[in-house]
Amino acid sequence: MDNQITKPEDFFKFKIKDFAFRVEGADPGDFITYTESKCNGCGECVLVCTVNLWSMPKDAKKAKLSSKYKDVCMECAACYAVCDKDAIDFRYPNGGAGIIIKHG
Amino acid sequence: MAKYDVAIAGAGPGGSYAAKTAAELGLKTVFFERSRKVGEKNASGCGLGQRWWRDFPEIMEKVEKLPSYRDIHSCIFKIVDEDDNLVTTISTTKTKKDAERIMYKGIPRAMSGTSIYRCDLDPLLADLACEAGAELRTSTLVTDVMKENGRVTGLVTDKGEKIEADIVIGADGAHSIVAIKSGIRKRWRKDQITLIPQIDFKCNEQRLDDVIGPAEWVWFGPFCGAYQVNFRDGFHLGLGQWLDIWALKPADMIKRVLKIPAFQAMCRAVDAEMREYQIHMLPWMEKPGKSYADGVMLIGDAGGFPCPLEGEGVWHACFTGKYAAETAAEAISNGDPTTRTLQKYEAKWRQPPLGLEYEYGKEFVALWKNSAFNPEFMKKMVQFLGELQWLNFPSPIFDWSDDHMSSFNDHLGHVLDLLPELSEFAEKYVIPMKRGISDTNREKIANMISGSISAKLPGFIPDWPVKSIVRKKLGLK
Ligand SMILES: Cc1cc2nc3c(=O)[nH]c(=O)nc-3n(C[C@H](O)[C@H](O)[C@H](O)COP(=O)(O)OP(=O)(O)OC[C@H]3O[C@@H](n4cnc5c(N)ncnc54)[C@H](O)[C@@H]3O)c2cc1C
Ligand code: SF4
Ligand code: SF4
Repeated sequence: MDNQITKPEDFFKFKIKDFAFRVEGADPGDFITYTESKCNGCGECVLVCTVNLWSMPKDAKKAKLSSKYKDVCMECAACYAVCDKDAIDFRYPNGGAGIIIKHG
Repeated sequence: MAKYDVAIAGAGPGGSYAAKTAAELGLKTVFFERSRKVGEKNASGCGLGQRWWRDFPEIMEKVEKLPSYRDIHSCIFKIVDEDDNLVTTISTTKTKKDAERIMYKGIPRAMSGTSIYRCDLDPLLADLACEAGAELRTSTLVTDVMKENGRVTGLVTDKGEKIEADIVIGADGAHSIVAIKSGIRKRWRKDQITLIPQIDFKCNEQRLDDVIGPAEWVWFGPFCGAYQVNFRDGFHLGLGQWLDIWALKPADMIKRVLKIPAFQAMCRAVDAEMREYQIHMLPWMEKPGKSYADGVMLIGDAGGFPCPLEGEGVWHACFTGKYAAETAAEAISNGDPTTRTLQKYEAKWRQPPLGLEYEYGKEFVALWKNSAFNPEFMKKMVQFLGELQWLNFPSPIFDWSDDHMSSFNDHLGHVLDLLPELSEFAEKYVIPMKRGISDTNREKIANMISGSISAKLPGFIPDWPVKSIVRKKLGLK
C-alpha cells in the first residue's frame, strides 16, 4: 500500500483488498458452498458482498461465485444471511487462516 | 476423546468471560478460537460504556493500561444536511451530579467510558480466563456440535477432533455455528441483523488529543448515523443497516460520510490516514432469541443480546457469559445438564441489570428504524435541530440579517412549521415509552403542574381536585 494514497477522498479510487490483511500460506479450505440449483436470482448476495464476489451474469438467472473467493472474502457471512433460498452455505475458513483484523 | 465440564466455542469477550467464570467455579473448561491470536478476527466500535466501572471495575483498571486506550467523557454529534453541510454540533455533557451516579475508588465515573481496540481487549479477557485455569485452543474452528438423543454433548473441530463436554456454550458471535447446528435457530431474520462496514484510520496522537480529546463523535444526517470511535492514535468510522432494508453496496454507504467536507477537514486536522477496512454483522433486535436447549447455552451475539437502542454488545456478552457459566456449574453439581436446569440461565439474564435492556426493546428498535435509519425523516430532523439551535441563547444575538426581533421570528416560524411533522413521529415512537418514566419523576411533574394551576385559581377552590386530576393524567394513584 502506498502511504500517499490513504486520505479519505482517495478511498473512492481504491480497492478494498488494499486495506485488508490476511494470513499468508494457510489453507482456508472450501468455506463457501454454493448450490446453484437453489438460487432464484434475487441478487441480494450481489448487493451485500462488499468485495463483489457474487455476480449476476447478464442473461443468466443464477448468481455466480467468484473463483477467487478464498483469497478475497472478508468473512462477514452476509451472503449467507441474505440468501432465503439456502443456496449459500458459509462456515468461516479453517482455523488460523483467512483475514486478520489488525485494528479491530 | 477428551472430556470437559464445559466446552466453549469462541474467545470473544463473551467466550472469555464465560471461560474465566467457569474456571473460577472449579469447572474443567476449554474454549476454542478460530483465529491464531485472540481478537485477530474481531472488529467493533469498540466503546465501553460507563457502567463498566460499576460492573467490571477490576477489568477497567487493566483496560486503562492497554496501548489503544482513550478515556471518553462525552459524545459529540455532527449534524449534516443532504448537501453535506455541517449544520450544527450538539453534545452530551458532563455535570457533577450526573458523574457521581457511579463512584469507583472515590472517583466519579458515570460520565467516563472508554475506547479500546479489540486486538487489545480480547487478549486481556482471554488471559484472565487462562490465569483462572481455563484451556484455550487457538487456530481451531468449531464446525459442528456432537449430539446424543437430541442433547448437545460436545463440539467438533475442523481438525476432526471431538470434544465431549457436559455443557456447551455458544460464544461464536453473530454467525454462530453452535446456534445453528444445535437447532436452536436458523440464520437470523433479515430484520434482526445489521451489517456494518467500518474504516480504521491512523492519526497523530497529539493532534487527536488536541482536536478531539476525550470524546466519541457521531455523524448524523440523511445518510443515517455513522459513529467515529476515537482510540489513542486512531479512529474507526462505521455505519450499518438492517439486511431487510439494504439498498447500497456496503462501501458506498461509508463513502457518503467520507465526502463530507467537515469530515475531511477533521481528517486533515488529526493527520488521519486510512489503514484498514473491516466488515461485520451485528444482531440488533427487540429482545434476544431462544438462548438454551438441552446441554447448550448461547451468549453474547450468538444469542442476539446486543442493546436494542444502540447495538452495544460487549457488556452484554460478558454478563451472559458469566450467567451461562454459573448455570453450567449448577447443572453439573446437581447432575442435570438438561433444559430443566438450563432454563435458569434465561431466568438469570432476565433479571436487572441485563434484563432491563430489553424492556423497551420493541420501542427502541421502532424509534431507531424510523428516525436515524429513515433518510426522509432525517432530512426534517436535521432542519429542526439546526433551527432549534438558532433559538438557543445566544444564537439569536448573532443573526444580523435583519433587526433582531424579525430574524428571531423567522427562526421561530421555521421551528413551528416543522413541529407538526415531527409531532406525528413523537406520538408514534416516543410517547409509547412514557411508561418508562419513574414514579418519583411523575410525582415531581404532578406537583409542579398542579402547583402552578392552583396558584392561578381563586383561593376558595381547594388544591386536592386539581392535584387528583393531574395525578390521574400522569398515571399516578
Ligand atoms: C462494527 C461493530 C461495532 C460495534 N461497536 C460496539 C461498541 O462500540 N461497543 C460495544 O459494546 N459493542 C459494540 N459492538 C457489538 C460487539 O462487538 C459485540 O456485541 C460483541 O463483540 C459480542 O461478543 P461475543 O463474544 O458474543 O462475540 P464476538 O466478539 O463476535 O466473538 C466471537 C468469537 O468467536 C470466534 N468464532 C466465531 N465462530 C467460531 C467458530 N466456529 N469456531 C471458533 N471460533 C469462532 C470469533 O473469531 C470471535 O473471536 C459492535 C459490533 C460491530 C460489528
Ligand atoms: S441471495 Fe441466494 S437466491 Fe438470491 S441471488 Fe444470491 S444465491 Fe441466488
Ligand atoms: S462472506 Fe461477505 S465478503 Fe465473503 S463472499 Fe460472503 S458477502 Fe462476500
